[in-house]
Amino acid sequence: MKHYKILALFFGIITIFSMGCEPDDICPESTPTTPNLIIRFYDILNQDSKKNVFNLKVQGLGNDNPLTDYNVVTTDSIVLPLKTDANTTQYSLHKEYSNVDGVIDGNEDIITINYSTEQVYVSRACGYKTIFKNVTLTINNDGDNWIQSKESINDNQSVEDEKAAHFKLFH
Amino acid sequence: MKKQHISSYFISLFSFLLLGVSLHAQNDSIISTVNDSLKIKLKYGLRIGGDVGKLIRSFTDDNYTGFEVNADYRIKKALYIAGELGIEEKTTINDYLDVTTSGTYLKAGVDYNMYKNWLDMDNMIYSGFRVGAAAFSQNLNSLTVYNTDQYWAPQYSSAESQKFNDLTAVWVELIIGIKVEIFNNLYLGLNAQLKGLVAETIPTNFANIYIPGFNKTYDSSKIGAGYGYSISYLIPLYKKDKN
Repeated sequence: MKHYKILALFFGIITIFSMGCEPDDICPESTPTTPNLIIRFYDILNQDSKKNVFNLKVQGLGNDNPLTDYNVVTTDSIVLPLKTDANTTQYSLHKEYSNVDGVIDGNEDIITINYSTEQVYVSRACGYKTIFKNVTLTINNDGDNWIQSKESINDNQSVEDEKAAHFKLFH
Repeated sequence: MKKQHISSYFISLFSFLLLGVSLHAQNDSIISTVNDSLKIKLKYGLRIGGDVGKLIRSFTDDNYTGFEVNADYRIKKALYIAGELGIEEKTTINDYLDVTTSGTYLKAGVDYNMYKNWLDMDNMIYSGFRVGAAAFSQNLNSLTVYNTDQYWAPQYSSAESQKFNDLTAVWVELIIGIKVEIFNNLYLGLNAQLKGLVAETIPTNFANIYIPGFNKTYDSSKIGAGYGYSISYLIPLYKKDKN
C-alpha cells in the first residue's frame, strides 16, 4: 500500500510543524535589548587609571530598593538601568556607606541623567527596545561632593548598547 | 462515515462489474461486435471550493477572520492547475506586541495526483507546488518595551496605533494533501503546506509578524507552515478515456 507511506509522511510533516513553533516566541537572553547606562570610576589625580569606590550603595531616587548588584560593594564600574517611560532618572551614589544602629555614615551624591528615548524594533519575541539619545549626566551640588568631575565618552552621548562605558566619573 | 460511503461505493461498483462479466460469459457464443460498455471515462472540469477550516476558525477564534476560495482544473490524467484566493485578518498578541494584520493573497501552481484510482473513481493523494503573493497592511495596536532589568517597572508602553501600509510578500510552497469524492462531484480535501519566503517589504522599524496566506513568520527563519480543509464541487466539462 504505497499511499500509506505518503499519508505517514503527510502527518509527519504536520507534527514537525507544530513542534517547531515555540522557541521563537521567547526572547533569547543573548539578544541585545534595552541597554543600561555604564559608568566607570577614575582617579581624579591620575585620570587614566581606574579607581575603586569602597562600600558603594546605589539606589534610584523614587525607588524603595537599592540596586541589588550595588548594595554596599567595592567596585570601579556601575551599570544603571534608566527609566524607559521618563526622560530623567536620578540615582543616589553613596560612598563608604555604613549603617550602625540606624546611624548612616558615608558621603551621598545624587546624579541626574537626562535623555530622550527612542523605540527600536528588535524581533517578534523581544518586541521593541528603548535606546537613549542626547544623554547628559549632572552631579547635584551638595557642597560636599565626592564625585569631583564627569566626562562623557562621546561628544553627543547616547546609550544604544552595552559594549562600552558611557560616562567617566572622577573622584 | 466517509469511509463507509466509499466502501459501499466500491461494493456497488464491484458487483456491477461482476454482473457485467457474468453477462459477458453467458453471451460468449455470440460474436461480440460492440465495444466494451465498461470502458472507463474520467471526468475533466473545473473544481471550485472554499476553505472550511478558515471559516470555522473565523467563528471560534476572536483574533482571526479569513476565507479562501480554491480552484483546480484538470489538464492531464494526474495533473491539475490549481490556485487559491484568500482574505485574512489576524491579530497577534504577545507580552510586548499587539499587531493586527489584514490583507489578501493569491496562490497559483500545480497539483500532481500520486494516487492510482480504481476504475472511474476520482480521489487524490497529491503533492503540489505554489507561488504565493500577498498585499497587506499591519496595525501596531500597542507595544511595551522589552527590558531585562525590571528595576524601574513598568516599562514604557504605547497604545498609540501605528499603521504600516502597502506591504507585500512573495513566497513558494510545497503542498501535500488528499481529496476524496464523497458524493457525486463533491470533494472533501485536507492539505498541509510548507512555505519559504522569497521576498517581503520590511516596514520601517518593524517587521511582518503575520503575512496573509503565508501565516506566522519566524525571527530565525524564512520558513512558514499552513494547513487547509476544503469542500469543493466539480463542474464537469468533458470526459476522456482513462487510457
